[in-house]
Amino acid sequence: MVLLTVPLKAQFSFNEDTVRINEVVISRKKLTSDLSGYKTEHIDSSILKDCSNLTLAEVLSGNSNISIKSYGTGGTATTSFRGTGAGHTQVEWNGINLNNPMLGQSDLSLITTGLIDDITLYFGGASMSLNSGGIGGIINLETKPDWKKGTVISLNAGTGSFGTYSGLLKVKSGNTKLQTVTRAVFLTSENNYRYLNTIAGAEPVWQTRSNSQVCQEGFIQELYLKGINNVASARIWYQSAKRNLPASMLTEQSNSYERQYDESLRIVLNYDIFKGINNFTFTAAWIVNRLNYFNRLASIDSRNLSDIYSIKGIMDRRVGEYTRVRLEFDNEIDVINTNNYNHIAKRNMSSLTVSVQHEITSMIGTSVLFREILDKNKLLIPDFSTGLQFRLTEKQEYYIKANISRNSKIPTMNDLFWIPGGNPGLRNEFAYIYELSYVMKQQLFSSFSMNYDLTLYRNKIKDMIQWHPGEFSFWTADNIQSVNSAGLESSVSVDYSGDPLTAKFKAGYSFTRATNKSSIYNNDAVKGKQLIYIPENQANAKLSLMYRNIYASWTANMIGKRFTTVDNSSFLPGYFINSVSSGIKMNIKGISFDTNLTIDNIFNINYQTIAYYPLPGRYYSIKILIEIVK
Amino acid sequence: MKNLLIAIILATFLASCTKIPEIPVSDVTIGGGLFVLNEGNFRSGNGSLSFFSYDSLKIYNDLFASINGRPLGDVPNFMIINEDKIYIVVNNSGKIEVVDRSTLKSKTTITGLISPRYMAIVNSNKAYVSSLYSDSVAIINLSSNTIAGYINIRRSSESMVVSGTKAFVANWSGGNEIMVINDLVDKVADSIKVGMEPESMVLDRYQKLWVLCNGGWDRQNFAELDRINTQTNQVEQSYIFLKKEEYPSCLQIDGFGQTLFYLENGVRQMDISASSLPNSILISESGASFYKLAINPVNSDIFVTDAVDFIQNGALLYYKNDGSFVSRNTAGIIPGSMCFRLQFNN
Repeated sequence: MVLLTVPLKAQFSFNEDTVRINEVVISRKKLTSDLSGYKTEHIDSSILKDCSNLTLAEVLSGNSNISIKSYGTGGTATTSFRGTGAGHTQVEWNGINLNNPMLGQSDLSLITTGLIDDITLYFGGASMSLNSGGIGGIINLETKPDWKKGTVISLNAGTGSFGTYSGLLKVKSGNTKLQTVTRAVFLTSENNYRYLNTIAGAEPVWQTRSNSQVCQEGFIQELYLKGINNVASARIWYQSAKRNLPASMLTEQSNSYERQYDESLRIVLNYDIFKGINNFTFTAAWIVNRLNYFNRLASIDSRNLSDIYSIKGIMDRRVGEYTRVRLEFDNEIDVINTNNYNHIAKRNMSSLTVSVQHEITSMIGTSVLFREILDKNKLLIPDFSTGLQFRLTEKQEYYIKANISRNSKIPTMNDLFWIPGGNPGLRNEFAYIYELSYVMKQQLFSSFSMNYDLTLYRNKIKDMIQWHPGEFSFWTADNIQSVNSAGLESSVSVDYSGDPLTAKFKAGYSFTRATNKSSIYNNDAVKGKQLIYIPENQANAKLSLMYRNIYASWTANMIGKRFTTVDNSSFLPGYFINSVSSGIKMNIKGISFDTNLTIDNIFNINYQTIAYYPLPGRYYSIKILIEIVK
Repeated sequence: MKNLLIAIILATFLASCTKIPEIPVSDVTIGGGLFVLNEGNFRSGNGSLSFFSYDSLKIYNDLFASINGRPLGDVPNFMIINEDKIYIVVNNSGKIEVVDRSTLKSKTTITGLISPRYMAIVNSNKAYVSSLYSDSVAIINLSSNTIAGYINIRRSSESMVVSGTKAFVANWSGGNEIMVINDLVDKVADSIKVGMEPESMVLDRYQKLWVLCNGGWDRQNFAELDRINTQTNQVEQSYIFLKKEEYPSCLQIDGFGQTLFYLENGVRQMDISASSLPNSILISESGASFYKLAINPVNSDIFVTDAVDFIQNGALLYYKNDGSFVSRNTAGIIPGSMCFRLQFNN
């Protein structure tokens, strides 16, 4: 099979004094893309370990080419894959959609990386192997057991600038048959950083961010039971966040006392059966999301509760030696109770997916996927995806990959039912996605390897839902927008694994041209203009070094200018943020210690990802990780 | 010193974020014309000030930012000229920018206001400022340009009109009353029940107060136009719109106080002596999104703003008083409130 499993480089394996840079982390059970011809990207497991006290938004903004839009530390953060909107990105947990059905998106600032074992990004058509709706892509988070006998206790405590304190406790225990994993996390921050307000008056003034406190807590409890040919698991994830929402730099008025309370409970039951050439997976999930928003000044008390009931059944069968067939049935029921609709809103959606992967020769692989969605007792136009993959030489891993997909996204519940302006008659959005990639993995010497990839893509999104001024004083949702996005993504990584020095350098660049293709109004000046807050140019780089038990890393993140008005008359300038981190690892009487100091934004750059919402300048954090293995 | 240097560099850098055109200041500072406040998008901070020059028949955009080196603020909602100063009420920034009438250079900023909406000049030393989110009208001392106090009206406030010693304050958002303030003592003296959501008001030549009530956003009530006797504080006549779908806004009156204008599926015109609401449309929207209306008090020329889709730059549409089209000029995002600076004879 021509499977593109990207090797994970667990660079700084914490359990051992000897560093093994080429450790491959393999998931026991993955709902990952097995389809040939698609692009996925693993976030290095060493990054997850180094950044365990950071949010998913912070990790992805520094270590991937997807664009993150953030209201600041602790503030709402959303993502954009390839110039698409936040609603075109799905966040999944072991294949279960976590997006809030009211908003159709996830707040990446609410997920602490330390709770997660594995993060994989599925770009464009690759996302269809997991779920529908991820026109831009899917961020799949995995938690999993390692089936080792014994107990591992990890404690990660950190503190930093602006009154920030964080803690993470992880306990993995069990044997080859039974595993239990407990994770608990908290984060609290005053977020009272200084920033330069250049617009408050005639002269710039330094001000302190106020009403920006954040307090998050959460835990995940998992239980795994392995039989001879089956695995049963139960997972519970609870998290809550209390946040005060700071005003923009433009607001002179006294505190508006905006605050938001988020709470989620996710329960997932899973049962896998392995019978020869057949694998079966059954999943049931119940997710409750509470999102309450208060604005005392504006007398807004918005209370929103959503329940999601989801079941999923998968049959995966090997046909002959070179073909795999996968059949998947999904059903999701959303129930929304909010004071922003005039009734309790429900939606029942089912889908049936068939995919086939076939290895034509030892050098060529292909895959085909069809999905039919039943929404409100109506069958939608089927989605499809087909991919092709060539291995150019037998000796080296050089690949050319291509895929074409049609993916669709159903409207959010707010688009349908929000009062005023929700439109129950909305159609689903859909997109045609084209992608061509070149991937190279080369072992240059025994201790020196290099990876390189280049991807060209084009998305044509139709019937995009846009809120626009209606007949009366309120805005309404309609399928009126068309967007084209096209661009390229490229990354290169070089690994050196010597003794006693190991090193890794990874750099990525993306160019995104996302333009509005629809002209709806007289004298419309937005056609052909770059979408707001989508940078054309984005790059990142990370250099990691480890000498014996001392390590250091440098991370750079460059974001080009982003337009803030639809006619591109105003923009935020680009920025270039650098961070450094260093630490030492020790093992004392079987207990491992990792002490780390990180300096973010070392050049104290004043920047914003959303206009007039300042982000912090230079700040410091220290953390200590203690790990006990029994 | 180091911080100051950084501040100057960053200010220069950030100021370059917006394309600010070269503006022939003389066109703006000399001669008559019309200011247009572009509200911008809520929380986006892209509100701006434009000026349409009668002399050059051109519009000059982004004036406040280009002259003062900083953005105007978040959702500038209303402006009024008082002697040599212009007061610009910036709603979501909670402030009033005070600029020089001729140079547009900032003189001061009045801060600490809660969601200010409109401003009414009571006398040479005092003005009132209405508020969407508070239950009080702010009193502004025009000599010191500071907040001198508040008048608690126990409800939100919107447009205001001063007649004699009375200030009439509309309780628009979800309300149906006009509060009457005795401006000698700054206290509520009376209230007048009108239609749902009184949105805009004008005084006619007989000092009668005309109040346009849009009926509320949920269309549960008919819109109505009420005429109030400002001496007795009584509604003398109500003109009820025929359909709940009719959603009028932006009541204006010509300089003679004789002819009313408002927006309802186009520009409508009505004499104050008319016995019914007008059936015909003076100026149709023709694909535009009419948002605000202004009538030249000297020659009754009609200016309408086109907000297009409310996210891109809108336009100022200029019509003669007979409704004939003259020009269309691109303004800023959501061009709204307009204010005439009359220094010409035409």
